[in-house]
Amino acid sequence: MNWSDLGSLAPIIWAVLTAAAVLLVDIAAPGRRAPAIATALMGLAVTAAVVLSLAGHTETAFGGAYVVDGLTAFLDLLFVAIAALTIMFADDYLQPRGLPIAEFAAVLIFAITGAMLVAGSADLLLLFVALELMVLPGYLLAGYARNDPYSTEGAIKYFLLGSFSSAILLFGLAYVWGLTGSTRVDVVAAALAQAAAKGSIAPGLAMGLAFMTAGVAFKMAAVPFHYWTPDAYQGSPTPVTAYLSVGPKIGAFAVALRLFVAALGPLKADWLPIVIVLAALTMTLGNLVAITQDNVKRMLAYSSIAHTGYILVGLAAYAGGQHSGISAILFYGAAYTFMNMGAFAVITALQRRPGVTSQISTFAGLGRRSPWLGALMALFLLSLTGIPPLAGFWAKAYVIVAAIQAGGWLTALAVLAMLNAAAAAFYYLRVVVYMYMRDPAEDAPPLSPGLLFRVGLAVTGIATLVFGLFPAILNAASSAAGVLKG
Amino acid sequence: MSNSLDSYLVLSGLLFAIGTFGFLARRNAISMLMSIELMLNAVNLTIIAFGAFVKPLHVHASVIALIVIAVAAAEATVGLAIVIAIYRNKKTPLVDEYDSMSQ
Repeated sequence: MNWSDLGSLAPIIWAVLTAAAVLLVDIAAPGRRAPAIATALMGLAVTAAVVLSLAGHTETAFGGAYVVDGLTAFLDLLFVAIAALTIMFADDYLQPRGLPIAEFAAVLIFAITGAMLVAGSADLLLLFVALELMVLPGYLLAGYARNDPYSTEGAIKYFLLGSFSSAILLFGLAYVWGLTGSTRVDVVAAALAQAAAKGSIAPGLAMGLAFMTAGVAFKMAAVPFHYWTPDAYQGSPTPVTAYLSVGPKIGAFAVALRLFVAALGPLKADWLPIVIVLAALTMTLGNLVAITQDNVKRMLAYSSIAHTGYILVGLAAYAGGQHSGISAILFYGAAYTFMNMGAFAVITALQRRPGVTSQISTFAGLGRRSPWLGALMALFLLSLTGIPPLAGFWAKAYVIVAAIQAGGWLTALAVLAMLNAAAAAFYYLRVVVYMYMRDPAEDAPPLSPGLLFRVGLAVTGIATLVFGLFPAILNAASSAAGVLKG
Repeated sequence: MSNSLDSYLVLSGLLFAIGTFGFLARRNAISMLMSIELMLNAVNLTIIAFGAFVKPLHVHASVIALIVIAVAAAEATVGLAIVIAIYRNKKTPLVDEYDSMSQ
């Protein structure tokens, strides 16, 4: 280790310092909300600036265990944006319920630190530790409303299945390490390429790879490893759900990019069928179950499973030989972040008054009660459906085009993705119907979200719109980031 | 047989399977937590076995095992905290009674 190694870690060090500073501010001014929020947001802004100052470099640190490249910078920025938006939305939910914000912000930023470490991992062991650093604070956030039975119930389900999947992933990792002789991603890739060239993979190695695949599929909530998702999402405090639906999911896809693309790249013909089956099952089942839900948070949980399926189509396209699959995954991740966090933010605004549920009837007449919130929710839902010219349309388009270019079975997968997108319109538009064609409840009080909340909502709305009207902006960034060897 | 890598791998595989079975079959959240710990210890045995029988892996094995132990401890801490929180709300450690959200 030397000083330049620390330089490549600078964004992560800044994020850790930010979390620590938030805790210190809370000690100095206990219970004051504004100083904690200001410290967290300023720290995250500096972190983003540090990431940008490193962008364009490609370097390795700590003997090759950590890499800084286009992918790291892209994902780091995305994770910082996720943390900042979550903090902006969180206080409107936490304050009326008497929950502290400083611990929330600190735990959230620690989780983001893990996600940023995942993004730059080039070592299987580092990948595992970073993944744990990302998910452990996530369990705590899910149970943040510790006197609320729903929140703790969601947390324990998330925790039990999450650590179960971590153990499975680790078991596979032990075999891959033992039989290839290294945890370094490039050494593993070379060993696997050698084995693939000989035409046979040792049974123990194949088993290890299967266990690792199952572990990652758990983390990204792919069917049939998705059981924890609906309860964890519905039970968690709504701003936490907003974070969980994007942060750990994109983190899991970062693991997939570092693991499948960089380490298992030589075997991509072997894992292509698995990813195709996972993608087909995930999007179909996620959409079918989402149709039957009456709770909007639970509906968005199933819809997030479906979106995992669409993103997996991008991974399948990469395995089928289309390198653009990777940049399509990144584009999808960024677009999904803004539109999905925006949708959860509107639910947060509705739930500002404690006791309001996220049942679909809560949305009745929202278009008249609060025209701006109604219009933004409609925008996010249309984008999630994939209606042009919104960000969600281009996200789906890039993934599907990459799959069609790859050809073969992937063409069938692309057709299935389009059919699914059409079916998804049903349950997204159902909420829009409730907002504009039903009368609001007589006693519904006016909605008055805080200033910071409005800024966050404006950012998500503008991003959804701008990335939809000018997809080239985001596409340039995701294409530059998607240049991975493997 | 008793002094070969394969026998240790079979042993750790069996431990892992017992842990998996315990996780899937038990209803008590604490037992499920213990099953996860058993799975992680099975992983540790695998790692140590590789380290003991494959010379080039010797040094790495102990480092990896120590890191796994640390992660397992962190996980148990978070898990027990959540179990205590839900026990206060529901007055039961049985997971099949945590069903207020299933429709």
